[in-house]
Amino acid sequence: MLEIDGISKSYFRKKVLEDISFKANEGEILGLMGPNGAGKTTLIRIINQITSADKGYISFQGKLMKQDFLKDIGYLPEERGLYRSMTVEKQALFLAKLRGLNSSDAKTQINYWFDRFGIQGWRKKRIEELSKGMAQKIQFICTVLHDPTLLILDEPFSGFDPINIDLIRKEIIRFKEQGKTILLSTHNMQSVEEICDKAVLIHNGQKILEGNILDLRNEHKESIYSISFHGNMIGFATALWAGYEIIDKIAHTDEFFTVYLKMRKENEINDLLGAVMPHVKITEVKEVLPSMENVFMQQINGDKVAIDE
Amino acid sequence: MNKVWLIAKRELAERLRSRSFLGMIILGPLMILGLVYLFLSFDSNKKQTWNVLIMDKNELFEGKLMPNKDPNFNFHFINDFVDYPDFAHQEKFQKFDLTVWINEKVVSNKKVIISYRERPSEAIQRKLVYHVERRLEEIMVEEFTSLSVQKFREIKQPLRFSLKDTYDPKNEKSLTASWVGFTFGAFIVVFILLFGMTILRSVSKEKSNRIVEVLLASVSPRQLLSGKIFGIGLSAILQVVVWSIIIAVGLYLLRISLFPDLLSPEMVANQLTGEITEAQNWSNQSPFVELIYQKIQFSNMLVFFILFFLSGYLFYGAFFAMIGASMGSESDGQQFIIPITLLLFASLAAGYFVVLFPDSSLSTWLGFIPFTSPVVMMVELSNGFDDGEAWRLYLSLFLLLATAMVMLFLAGRIYKNGILQFGHRVRFGMLLKWIKK
Repeated sequence: MLEIDGISKSYFRKKVLEDISFKANEGEILGLMGPNGAGKTTLIRIINQITSADKGYISFQGKLMKQDFLKDIGYLPEERGLYRSMTVEKQALFLAKLRGLNSSDAKTQINYWFDRFGIQGWRKKRIEELSKGMAQKIQFICTVLHDPTLLILDEPFSGFDPINIDLIRKEIIRFKEQGKTILLSTHNMQSVEEICDKAVLIHNGQKILEGNILDLRNEHKESIYSISFHGNMIGFATALWAGYEIIDKIAHTDEFFTVYLKMRKENEINDLLGAVMPHVKITEVKEVLPSMENVFMQQINGDKVAIDE
Repeated sequence: MNKVWLIAKRELAERLRSRSFLGMIILGPLMILGLVYLFLSFDSNKKQTWNVLIMDKNELFEGKLMPNKDPNFNFHFINDFVDYPDFAHQEKFQKFDLTVWINEKVVSNKKVIISYRERPSEAIQRKLVYHVERRLEEIMVEEFTSLSVQKFREIKQPLRFSLKDTYDPKNEKSLTASWVGFTFGAFIVVFILLFGMTILRSVSKEKSNRIVEVLLASVSPRQLLSGKIFGIGLSAILQVVVWSIIIAVGLYLLRISLFPDLLSPEMVANQLTGEITEAQNWSNQSPFVELIYQKIQFSNMLVFFILFFLSGYLFYGAFFAMIGASMGSESDGQQFIIPITLLLFASLAAGYFVVLFPDSSLSTWLGFIPFTSPVVMMVELSNGFDDGEAWRLYLSLFLLLATAMVMLFLAGRIYKNGILQFGHRVRFGMLLKWIKK
C-alpha cells in the first residue's frame, strides 16, 4: 500500500532523515513514533508531496507517489489549521472540492459526517466561534471527507477530551476494518499499544526500530514477573535468594501483595515458584511485558524499564 | 487548473465578504468624485452674487463700471472711504461682501485695494479686477489720450512671447497631459500597494493559522500561490472596473448637472462683454475641468492602465508573496515591506521625473525598467508617442510581463521552501538559499 524506501532529506547540510525505509499494508495501522525533532513531520510531508526527498522514493499502491495520488490520502497535520472566518460548511466544502470531490458528492459526504458526529447544528458557525475541540472535530472530518484509502494522522488525539478521544479512536479502528491504511504519528504510547498493528521508531532522522507491537514488546522484555499472593511479606522476601531482585511491590492489604521481580542469571519462573510456594499462597503469576512507552524510552535514552503495570 | 481556480474563487469570495474591500470599492471612487467636485467648485464658488461696495471718493468712476450687468456682481458706489473696522462691524455695511477702494491718485499710483469678508474664488477675483481695470482704462484714455478705448487696448496689449518645443510646436505633449498620465500611474501604484499587501496578508495569515499545510497536502505550492495571486488579481480587476464605472458615471453627472457653465468657456466669457471674448480664455481659469473633460483619452488610457496595472501587480505581487511566505511570524518581515514600498514610491518619483524631463535618455530607460515602467509608461502614453515610437510601449509592457513571470517563478521557490518554516527571522541570505534550492 505505502512503501517508504531509502528516504533521506537534509536542510542546509543538516541531515533530517537518513535512509528511512518501511512499509504499511492495507488494513493496517502503523504507529510512527519518535521524540520531537526526530524527523516524523518531515517524513509525513515528503509522503504528502509537500516537500521533496533528496534521496529515495515513495510508492503508493505499487506506483511511484505523485501529486495525483493525493486525492486518495487524508492528512491531518499536527498543527491544525482552518480558515477562522469561514463557516464550517463552506470550509468543509472547499477542502472536499480541493481533494477532488464534485459539489454534490462533497455535500453528501458532509451530510453523512455531520450526522455521524452530531454536528449538523454547527454548519453556519464560523470556525472562530468554535472551541478548540470542536474545531479539531471539523478538522478530522475535513481529513476523511473524500474517503481516502490512506490516512496520515499526526497527533489525532491532541486537544480532545476523553469522550472525543474515544470517538476518534473508534473511527480509526473502523477505517482499519474498512481496509484503509492508517499512518499514526503520536506521542501517546498508550494509543500506539491499543490500536496500532505495527510501529516504526525514528530518532535523529534514523529508523531505530520497526515491527509488530507485540513482537517489539516481547523483544524488549527483561524477565520481569508480577506475583500476587496472600501471606507474610517478610516470609516471601526471606524465601528468595540472590537470583531474584524485587523491583517494586504493591500492598493491597496487610495480607495481600503484588510483587514485581526481575530474574537474575539463568533462573526460571519455576525455580522462583518452588522457593516461595511453601511460605505464601500464590493467586497470580504473569510475565510483565514492557509498555511501548518503555520501549520508546529504552531506545531513545537507554533507560531501564520502569514498571507501570 | 481546477484547483487553482478553486483557490482563486475562495480568495475572491473572501475579499467580497470583507467589509474593507466593499467599503473601498464604493467609497474609494466616491471620495475621488468628491475631490473632483471640490476642485471644480473651487473654480465656481457657490456664492452666486457678490455685493461690492466701490469706495470712490473723487467719483472718478462716475457711478458706473461696465456697460452690461454681470450676474456675479452687484456694484454700489459711495464717495467716501470706509475704514476696515467700520466696514467689518457697522450694521449698514453688513450686506456688502467686498469693497474696492479707488484712491484719489489712482491714475498715477495705480493702487487699488480690495477687501473681503469671505475670500472669493480666483475666478471671481479675476473678474472683479478685470471690470475695475477696464473702467480705469476708459478713464485714463479719456483723460490722457485722444485715442479710442479700443485702440488704446490694442496698443496696451503686451507682447506675447511663447516658448515652443521645436519637436512639438502645437504643445501636444503639454504638462497637463503628463499629469494625467502621472495620475493614472499613481493609481497603479496605489492599487499595487493595496493588493500587494492583500497578497502578503493572505499568505502570512494562512501560514500563521497553519491551514497552509492542509492545503499543500492537496495542491502544489505553485498552484496555491498562482490561485492566490489570480484570485486577489480578480478582486483587483473587479475593483478597477467598479471604480471606472462609478467615476465615469459620476463625472458625467457632474458635467451635466452641476457644472454645465464651466464646460462652456464662451458662455462664461459672453456674460461679460461681447468684445472681450478673445482677450480672456475662461477655460484657462479651470484647468482641472479641461484636464478631466478634454485632455484625458479615457478609453486608450484605461486599456493600457489595466495592462500595466496587471503586469505591475504580478511583478510586485511576487515580491509581496515572497515576503509573506518567508515571514517567521506575522509581525516578522516588516523590514522587507519598507524597501518594496519605497520602490513603489521611487516609481512615482520616476514618473515625476518623466513629467519634467520627458525627452531625457534617463526617461527612456526608466520606461523599460520593470520597477518604474508602469508609472513612466502612463506618463509617456498620455504625452503620445511619435510616429514609429510606439514599439517602446509594447517593449516596456513585454519586459514588465516577462520579468513578472521570472519573479513569480522565484517567488514560487521561496514560497515552496519558506511557507512551512516557522518561528525564524527572515534574512536575505536565507531567501537566496531558498531560491537556489
